[in-house]
Amino acid sequence: MQRGFQLEAKTGEPLISFGLLEEALNLARANSLWPLTFGLACCAIEMMAAGAARFDLDRFGAGVFRPSPRQCDLMIVAGTISKKMAPAIVRLYDQMPAPKWVIAMGNCAISGGPFYYPNQYAIVPGADLIIPVDVYVPGCPPRPEGLIEGILLLEEKITKRGRLRKFRDVK
Amino acid sequence: MLERGLEEKTFWLNLGPQHPSTHGVLRVLLEMDGEYIVKAEPVIGYGHRGHEHMAENRNYHQFLPNMGRVDYLHALAFNQCYCMAVEKLMGIKVPERAEYIRVITAEMNRLTSHFLWVGAYLMDLGAFTPFLYCFDDRENILDLLDRLTGSRLTYCFYRFGGVPVDLDDEFIAGTRAFIQRLRRRWVDYDNLVTKNIIFIKRTKDVGVITKEQCVQYGLTGPMVRGSGIPYDIRKSEPYSAYPEFDFEIPIGENGDVFDRYIVRMREMEQSLRIIEQALNKLPEGPIMAEKVPKRLKPAAGEVYQAVETARGEFGCYIVSQGDIKPYRIKLRVPSFANLSILPEASVDNLVADVVAILGSMDVVVPEIDR
Amino acid sequence: MLSDTIQKTLASLNLEKVAAGDYGKTGYHVEAAAQPDQMPAVAQTMLDLGCFLESLTALDLKESFTLVYHFANFDQLCRTVVHASLAKTAQAPTISHIYAGADWYEREVYDLFGIRFAGHPDLKRILLPEDADFHPLLKDFGATQENA
Repeated sequence: MQRGFQLEAKTGEPLISFGLLEEALNLARANSLWPLTFGLACCAIEMMAAGAARFDLDRFGAGVFRPSPRQCDLMIVAGTISKKMAPAIVRLYDQMPAPKWVIAMGNCAISGGPFYYPNQYAIVPGADLIIPVDVYVPGCPPRPEGLIEGILLLEEKITKRGRLRKFRDVK
Repeated sequence: MLERGLEEKTFWLNLGPQHPSTHGVLRVLLEMDGEYIVKAEPVIGYGHRGHEHMAENRNYHQFLPNMGRVDYLHALAFNQCYCMAVEKLMGIKVPERAEYIRVITAEMNRLTSHFLWVGAYLMDLGAFTPFLYCFDDRENILDLLDRLTGSRLTYCFYRFGGVPVDLDDEFIAGTRAFIQRLRRRWVDYDNLVTKNIIFIKRTKDVGVITKEQCVQYGLTGPMVRGSGIPYDIRKSEPYSAYPEFDFEIPIGENGDVFDRYIVRMREMEQSLRIIEQALNKLPEGPIMAEKVPKRLKPAAGEVYQAVETARGEFGCYIVSQGDIKPYRIKLRVPSFANLSILPEASVDNLVADVVAILGSMDVVVPEIDR
Repeated sequence: MLSDTIQKTLASLNLEKVAAGDYGKTGYHVEAAAQPDQMPAVAQTMLDLGCFLESLTALDLKESFTLVYHFANFDQLCRTVVHASLAKTAQAPTISHIYAGADWYEREVYDLFGIRFAGHPDLKRILLPEDADFHPLLKDFGATQENA
């Protein structure tokens, strides 16, 4: 089941602008992203490995995986989206309170991955067909370092400043 | 205070498909009477990706990467089964060194799968520390396998006729060091988990599965070994280089969740024994069979090949009609049968016990859904 | 030997074919062919011999279907395969009252091929969404069906 998603809610101008407070709030949001435990397939294991001891996501503030969408602000779509699962994903996305972000992790969430072929009947080829995606992390599965890079990129997007200001500019 | 005519009704609780304890996208509809389960109905299909349809639209080589994605936790065993099935169909003989390499890597993959199970299962039960210990041990193994195969999770390492890359001295030395390290860690796991009173109380006498149920549902793997049936395809229908190694099949007595946990822990030690023996006896020789055609065109016929994966028996049923594409490939996955006993095993249990039982089945839902 | 016992007991059921399989080439010890109506009797026999249902699947042979039942045994190695040829619009009898595990296998065959099993307690789709209207593993799927 596919439906168009409303982009205006994400990119429209807010009514009230808080100036410097907005920057401080964005910094706070970026450094304490709470992801939703949303592993669908193989990429879920690499997401768990990214949260485990060696590739510790907690040092970026993103280690608190919450099972309830009401308490999260980041949905990492990790795995293939089957047509049966797509309505549930949209519902979960709708249940998350704003501001919320989505990382499409793995080739399946980006474009259907190895399961997209002309005669296929089973999957939705890409998470961005049903929900708006902020960061794409390619790989099959991406290494945990790749997911961490994706989260850091999302932090740059939220705070609108690069980690190494001279070399990186993220719009 | 209940008045006459006012009945207590049961209510429906939806467990999943997004839930921290479902090991994938599994949905279980629970009809509950208070905290007790009246009826549990698993709903699967949320991870259906059409592997069997893909098999009919690809040639044999192109389908090989799919096998790593069916069960990504023990991907090498699935690779091995598919390669063996096609080799049987084509009459290709794999050289001995390649068989040993396949066994070493598949057993290391079994260890990673069991480690992940222990970590995730204990997280389901509420303990976070074993998760970190298990993933740490798992990362050590993944380093070695990554060096050799190039992947951490969804391996596609075996080829029809052998393996493409040979072991080098660093891999062998690293594996030996890792075996020594892991043997010293069993004490930690024993103290942290096996002797933990909360773990014992949550798992003893929970989810008992009888031998009759094993036959009725076609269960395989640690599910039947926990109930006392010593059925392991590596021993009962030996394949590859397994006849050369000396290892035991651990079995449980009661068939409860605790027994299945103990069976898996003991299996890990047996896997270490197999890897050690394989490294000691590693023969010299080629790693690929000669004259394997680039485009496989097996003769018409069918073949069924079974291997023992971390979850149970994986069977690959290939029907060929003489074409370069298979006519039908049926993947008989262990978790499909293992999960089908959940309705019967969870009646009259508490919800928390259902989570414990479901976790003890070690289900990988994308393999059920294929 | 279990394979001899199985062959003898199956032969007494008047099946179309009961023979020893070529284990090295196919992986079967016993190969049999039966009519779909005989399958409940075959399943009961296999259960009495202590075998479990390893797998149940179907093949679409364009003019007809073939149901393929695999049985194996925990105690002694013996893999039995039973092929049952089914006409395209016919129904097959269920064996889910004999093997409880066959319940899900038959639902999967119905889901992927459209083959109905008479007497099944709850024959509904298991892998595809409940409202799907196609059966993906049919050989003419894709040529005539649309992927919504």
